[in-house]
This record gives sequence, C-alpha cells and structure tokens, in this order.
Amino acid sequence: MYGLGVLKGFGITIKNMFRPAITVQYPEQRLVIPKRARWAVRQKMDEDGVPKCTACLICVKECPDNVLRVFTSAKDGGGKRIDAYVYEVGACMMCGLCVAACPYDAIEMSHEYELATRDHDNLVRVLLRDVDAAPIPRKPREDAPAPTGGTEATDA
Amino acid sequence: MSDGLTAPPRIAPEGSQHQDVLPAGLKRVPHGVDELATEHLVLNMGPQHPSTHGVLHVLLELDGEEVIAAEASLGYLHRGIEKLAESRRYHQVATLLDRADYLSGLHTETAFALAVEQLAGIEVPRRASWLRSLAMELNRYASHLIWLGTFGMDAGAMAPFLYIMRDRELILDILEAWCGSRMMFNYVRPGGVFADIPGGLDAKIRSWLAVADSYLDDNDALLGGNEIFVARMKGTGVIDAATALAFGMTGACLRASGVDYDLRRDVPYCAYPELDFEVPLATAGDNLARYQVRIGEMRQCLRLIHQLLDGMPEGEHTAKMPKAFRPPVGESYAAVESPRGELGIHLVSDGGPTPYRMRLRSPAYFNLSIVDEALAGGLVADAIVTLGSLDIVLGEIDR
Amino acid sequence: MTFAVGILLRFVAMVALLLVNGVVLIYMLRKVLGHLHLRIGPNRVGPFGLLQTTNDVIKLLTKEDLRPEAADAWLFNIAPFLVFVPSFMAYIPLVFGPDLAVTNLDTGILLVFAVLSLVPIGVMMAGWASNAKWSLIGGMRAAGQQIAYEIPLLLSVLGPVMMAGSMDPAKIVAAQAGTWFGFIPRWFVIPQIVAFVVYVIAAQAETQQTPFDMSEAESELITGFANEYGGMRFGFLYLAEFSNMFIVAAIGTMLFFGGWQLPWITTPGWAAPFVFMFKTYVGIFTMMWARGSLPRFRVDQMLAFCWKRLIPISLVWVVVWATIQRLTLPGVVR
Repeated sequence: MYGLGVLKGFGITIKNMFRPAITVQYPEQRLVIPKRARWAVRQKMDEDGVPKCTACLICVKECPDNVLRVFTSAKDGGGKRIDAYVYEVGACMMCGLCVAACPYDAIEMSHEYELATRDHDNLVRVLLRDVDAAPIPRKPREDAPAPTGGTEATDA
Repeated sequence: MSDGLTAPPRIAPEGSQHQDVLPAGLKRVPHGVDELATEHLVLNMGPQHPSTHGVLHVLLELDGEEVIAAEASLGYLHRGIEKLAESRRYHQVATLLDRADYLSGLHTETAFALAVEQLAGIEVPRRASWLRSLAMELNRYASHLIWLGTFGMDAGAMAPFLYIMRDRELILDILEAWCGSRMMFNYVRPGGVFADIPGGLDAKIRSWLAVADSYLDDNDALLGGNEIFVARMKGTGVIDAATALAFGMTGACLRASGVDYDLRRDVPYCAYPELDFEVPLATAGDNLARYQVRIGEMRQCLRLIHQLLDGMPEGEHTAKMPKAFRPPVGESYAAVESPRGELGIHLVSDGGPTPYRMRLRSPAYFNLSIVDEALAGGLVADAIVTLGSLDIVLGEIDR
Repeated sequence: MTFAVGILLRFVAMVALLLVNGVVLIYMLRKVLGHLHLRIGPNRVGPFGLLQTTNDVIKLLTKEDLRPEAADAWLFNIAPFLVFVPSFMAYIPLVFGPDLAVTNLDTGILLVFAVLSLVPIGVMMAGWASNAKWSLIGGMRAAGQQIAYEIPLLLSVLGPVMMAGSMDPAKIVAAQAGTWFGFIPRWFVIPQIVAFVVYVIAAQAETQQTPFDMSEAESELITGFANEYGGMRFGFLYLAEFSNMFIVAAIGTMLFFGGWQLPWITTPGWAAPFVFMFKTYVGIFTMMWARGSLPRFRVDQMLAFCWKRLIPISLVWVVVWATIQRLTLPGVVR
C-alpha cells in the first residue's frame, strides 16, 4: 500500500520519543574524557614537585606552528635556568607532537578543554617561570618518548 | 546585472542576444529572452547557505523553478594547505592533512603515509596496516553518517540528522579513546601509526557494533523506505557512466552510475587484500542510486570492522623511523578510497626534510565539477538534493 | 451598554486566546520536536523552559526593524498583517462549549475558509515586496501551494456539513451527540473517513508544515518568503502560522470528532472547553509529529498530488456521500 513507508517512519520517530534524551547537560553534567584525549599542554613534575623540563628545546622545534617558546639563561656553576616557558594556548592545535617528541617525559597533554576566555591575556600562558632546568638524566628513559596513553594495555 | 566594479570579460558566444558584460562569474550569457519575453533569473546559491555543505557558491540561472545553467565558484575555504606542506617536516604534515577533508582525516593521512613509504621504500608492519584499515573504516562510517543526515536535511527530513549524531558520538568516542582526538587525529604517520590500541577499546567497538545495525536500519527506513523521499530522489540528478568518467568522478558517485571501480578492491592497500567485502553497484545514476550505494557501503563497513577486529595480527604498530627523516629524491603517488572517492597524494621530494611539492587529488573536486551537467534541466529543489548526494566537503575541494 | 461590554469582552478573550495559544504552541513545537529527535528542547529559561517563548517575544519586540532599501515599502509593511489578521478572524466561529462561543454564525465554516484564503495573498506580497530572489521563489511557491490546497480542504468539509445539514459549527457539534448502536460515538470521522484523511493532508499543506513546507523550505530557502523580515514583523508571520495550525485543528475537531463532547457521557458545561482544547492539541501534536518525521515534497509533485489525486478523491466522495445520504436518510439528518 502506498504510504506504508511513511507510517513506518512515524513509528520510528514516536518510538524514539519515549527513549531518554541523549543530551548531556553541560555544565551540570560532564562527559568523562578518555585517557588519550589531547587538550592543553602541561608541565609534569617529579615526586618532589620539581619540573622535569631540561630546556632541551626539542618541543619548540617540533611544534608545527611555533606555539612554544622557551627563554633560558646560564646559571652560575653550569646548568641552565628557565626564565620563561611560554605556551600560546590560543594558537595551539593540540596535535601532541611536542609531547611525543619530549625525550624526558616532561610535558603532557592534559584534559583541560574549557579554554574559552574573554580575556586576551589568557591566550598565552607562561607554564614555567624562573626555575632551574632539570639536569639531563644519566640514562634517558627507555620507554620515552612515550606516546600519549602509553603503548601497553591501559584503560581507553 | 553587472556590479560595475571591474569589467568582467566580454565573452559572448556566437549569436547571443546580449553582447554586454556578463554577471560576475558566469561563463555563459544567460540565454535570456524566450517567446513570452520573460527574463531568466540569476540566483546566487551563495557561500552562506544551509545546504551547500560548506562555503560553496553556485550560480544558478533559473527559468521560473527550472535550472538552465549552473556554475560553481570555489575558493572560499582555500587555506594554502599544499603550500604549507612544503615547510612542514614529514611527520608534521599529517596535522595539515586532517584539516583538508575534515570528515575523513584518517584517509588523507594514510594516503600521505603510503606515498612517503612508497618513495622511501619503508616496510610497514602488518599490524600497523591493519590498525590503519580499522581506523579508516570507522572514519568512513562516521563520514557516511554525516552524509546521510545532511542528505535527509536537504530533503527536509529533520529526524535522521539528529539520529546520526547519536550514532556518530559513539564512533567519535571510540576514536577519541584511540587516536586522542575526535576529528583532527594526527594518528597515521609515515612508517606506521602513532600508538597501538588501548586496552578496553575492542570491547567498546564491539558494543557499538551491536547497535550500529539497528540504528542504520532505522535511518534507512526513515529515508530510503519513505515514499516521499523516493519520489524526490528517483530520476533526479541523473549522471550517466560516460559523463561521470569524463569528469573524473570516483567513489560512490561513479559506482552509482554503473562503473565498477573501488580502490580497495582494484588497487588494494593496507589490509584490504586480505579482507572479504562486496562493492555495491547501481546503474541508474540518479540520486536514489547514490543513496543506495552509500547505504550498501555502510553495511559493508560494519562487515569489514568485524573482520578487522577478529583478525588483528600481533606485531609492532610502527616501523622504526629515523629522527631526521629525509626520503630520497623522487616522486610518488598513492591513493586510497576515501568516503568521497579516490583520494591521492602526489609527493615530490628533493631529498630535504620537507616535501618539495605535495599535491592532494581531491575526489570531491572532481565530483563537484559535474554540477553544470547534473543540475541543468532540473528544478531548484533537485539542485539542492543533487549537491547533497554528491557528498562534497569544501575543505578538500579548496584546500 | 452590556452589548458593547459583551463585544469588548469577547474581543479581549479572542486576543488572549490567540496570544496564549501562540506562546504555548511554539513551546510545544520545540519540545515535541526535541523529544522526537532524542533531544530535550528548551529547559533553561524558567522551570522546564516554560518562559522560553515569552523571552523570544520580548527579544522580537526589541529588535531593530529593518527593511531592505529597495523593498516596496508599503507592501512590505502590509504583508505580515494580511497574513495575521485572517487567522485572527478565524477564531470567531469556534465553539468551545454548549453556549461558549464568540458569536453564533450560520455560516461559520464558510467564514473560516473564506478568511484563510486571504493568507496566500499576504505570503505572495511578502515574497514579492522583499525584492530578494530567494524570497520571491518562496512567495511564488506559496501562491501555487496554498491556493491549490484550499480546494480539497473545502471539499472535504462538505461531507460533515451534509451530515449535519448546516454550516453552523454549533449545530454540527450538536449533531454529533449520542451514539450509534449504543456504543459507537456519533462522531463524523467514522462514516467520513475518506474526507477526514483528505482534510488532514490538506490542512497540513494549508499551514505549510512539512511535508508540504515548500514555500519556507528551511534547507533551501532558509525562511522562504520571510527571509527579509525581522523583529516583530517576523513575529507576526510566525504567530500567524501557529495560529493557523490551531484553527485547522480546531475545525477538524469540531467537524469530525464531536467538538467539546466526551464520547459516552454527557459533558458538563465547565469541562467542555478543556475537552475541546485537549482534542485540538492532540491534532496539533499529530501535525508536529509529521513535521518532525517526514521529508518534503517537491513543488511540482505536491501540486500534482493535489490536482490529480486529492481533488478528484474529494469530489468523488462528495458525490458518493450525497447519494448515500439521500438514499438512506431521506430529508434532513435527525
């Protein structure tokens, strides 16, 4: 009979009417972000809260859009001092190449996705200011550069 | 109808009535005045339109509701991707290519990776090939879902658009848990893939597969089973096989016109030589045929994903790539079957760390070039629907 | 004095019903479409989003009143009123209860369809006067569609009118009291099922709902004839659309479903308006359900469907029913 398809379509939509809505009502409810999701770049600290960054500048060279800038100066008695580790979060495309390239596992992609702001100054972040660059480890970690999320089985 | 700002070229065909300047953009003079002394209307289906699937500008010459001529005016989304690629190192190019065809980024990345591996003679581990294929099939399904929803919207049906969003969320959750991002994946690199499958992903994909069939049946019943929809799509936007081949169309549009060509089967790559699937074919060449071919492709996608999950080999997820990668001097071309057709990357290398030239053969560009042949002779409503059935993405057309 | 006060009260009641209806219907549309599509619809502004439409009305009232420079000023300004005022007038014959109506009109049904036929003129005016090609296409489509579908709308109404023997809505509703064989309510939808189906389809087309919304096809013409309208002018056009939906649903209730009467029990006077509104809103829900589920017809297919299918069917039905009625029920019904 002509019109049967139309009636079946009616049945499908009315069936969906009685299913719960799939809307997640932000900001009261939030979705759980998977472990590998790439959002803003963040410095990693070791157990004592000291940043692991050695100011090797590999991340600066890796970034396709030149979003990272690191200003260093020499310390008395050898070693480097990080004057500023500047991260232009407003221009970052969250590709994760910097994190993948870091040989010392000093930065990571955090899960901070609420980056919208009304203030221009918030588009550039200074992640480290006036700290000592960590010394280069005697033996760089075998499993670095760790891809985001790790290669072994972990929760998705 | 000239805007008077600059003088457009005075191209008037032989024997035309109007020897004046043309409306900006039209190559032909409007055929003008018929016996009733009515004027043809030149309509801008402009860059801002809910149904042009991106910033596409189509100039339509109308006689009442009937389209006499149509011409697409492109470039509104040009971002210089090919030029930018000349200053990116090989593992950074994928960040650009994601944004070309944003609905099937993994296919573009894979095409580039295949081109680089062909050029440099890199052997990709078997598991990496299978991971690439699995990611590409998921991406193909997600892209076809968007096509389905927007095609329904072009025809006026609002419900499928929202339902595909629900289905697509499940796939994007899977891809986010796996590749790290919902759309700009940056996952397939020359040499392999970036990372292996994380732990719970297999179960996640299977739980999605369990409901995907019934969701697809619902959407197919709402559109393909609907008499109004079929009445709109049958016999409109007909493209015959010879025209399709002459314009370089590929993909579902070509298969709907009767030409049986699918790169996954005819020029296989990645894991496809070992997989078992059918290629849907239709001969009518109208909008309904393109719809049915794509629905068939979606069902084959589900079949392929089952096989890929069940037969995933063990091994490495990437070959060992040198830190500073410089391929030898030469050129290569690699193509994949993206949801839109044959997506090819022509790569020319001069031995440096960045490509000398990277050219993206965009399937939607060639599919869109049919617009004058396919839209002329139909109504405005058919024009909208035909553009929707071609499944174009302006990101890869304009690059 | 009481006569003038009576008229004033009725007028105020009509205006109040129109505005409240418009507000409720817009909210209902958004909620119904939302839930059909697995969404929620408005739920932020006020409890359950109930204040959403009032917010929208305030927004429309405070918007800048734009008019394209090359638009025909007089026609552009007049067109929304030509669309709105007829649907306002069509509230006059509606019967909400045993003696609850604005006035008693012997030709109430005729009045409704007569004023509703002015709406396409307003739509065409809006499309033409906007001086924009997209609006022009929308206006011309409305000219073809709405004028064409008035015919089956009117013809399908003739069946119940014949059964009741009058065009007075009060008499038509009164003719549907009681039952046949003791348990089937004497609603006209049962013998007039063909006319009812034609009426539903024609009503959907007359109010420009999907699948017949070619003149304001969202994915093609954005808002069709109303492209260039903003602020309260646009508000009038849309209020008129929802008001038309209510009118055709109310007429359908009165003609086919017994108006304000409950099926087997005698309706108390205080309950009559609620029953009437409930039935009308069920009809409106069905229209919205169709809107959210179906694709739209192409213009020529829609017009072919009207002229080649609906009109012959309704004409044949009128003749067939007249014959049946003359043969089985000699004289006037009851």
